[in-house]
Amino acid sequence: MPEATTRTKITTPAEREIRIERVVKAPRELVWRGYTEPALIAQWWGRGHRLVIERLELERGGHWRWVEHGPHGAYGFEGRYREVTPPTRFVRSFEWDGMPAHVAIETVTLEDLGDGRTRIVILMQMHTPEERDGFLQSGMQQGMDDAFAQLDELVRKR
Amino acid sequence: MVQYSSADIDAAFGAVADPVRRGILERLGRAEASISELAGFFRMTLTGIKKHVAVLEDVRLITTRKTGRVRTCRLGPRRLEQEAEWIEKHQRLMDASFDRLEAALARSKE
Repeated sequence: MPEATTRTKITTPAEREIRIERVVKAPRELVWRGYTEPALIAQWWGRGHRLVIERLELERGGHWRWVEHGPHGAYGFEGRYREVTPPTRFVRSFEWDGMPAHVAIETVTLEDLGDGRTRIVILMQMHTPEERDGFLQSGMQQGMDDAFAQLDELVRKR
Repeated sequence: MVQYSSADIDAAFGAVADPVRRGILERLGRAEASISELAGFFRMTLTGIKKHVAVLEDVRLITTRKTGRVRTCRLGPRRLEQEAEWIEKHQRLMDASFDRLEAALARSKE
């Protein structure tokens, strides 16, 4: 059994924001790679579904587009990088195919905890409270049951 | 599966996004109180506290009833369980993602 890690915390600090926080057992440089190298991203970001990294131009102004292939269809996520500061922080626009033209700004900050662990803090900032709820729900709509099955499988493996 | 109305949930999130309104819910969780008692407790004007009370009443987190000239507030029929359950589910989804990240990073070190 792995050591306990801090569970994911989701809060809504303001009516147009979602904050997600989680501590992972990996050094910061490695977590940065997990967010920026296609082969690694594909292993975790797609909620257990096949993820195709169609574009990943990791530089200011660069375009990213990742497509998740779930049992109920394909969903693309895309945007452009506003800031890329390895290995601590990137800021990018974030748009989901299910809500086209509703753009959020995602800031991902990696904090080195100094003991081989890293705190990941994601701040999603939307334009309106309605958009925030839409984004929160986008995660739910895409085969929530599949995601739970995936979670169960992960737990059984350990 | 639980059905969520996003507008409804949003209104409830909005209602509890304010520290004074969270304070009112906490205060009413201990005992009902009149508008003037709440105003005194939070050192606010009657008008100010009434606005917060109206927001909470709109989303059914509290109810009020008027007896003579006194309006009494108490916790309403709605609880935050639906919101809490919803966030909880999302947290589990994200947790599963981050677990996969940890596993992928561990493999990449080998």
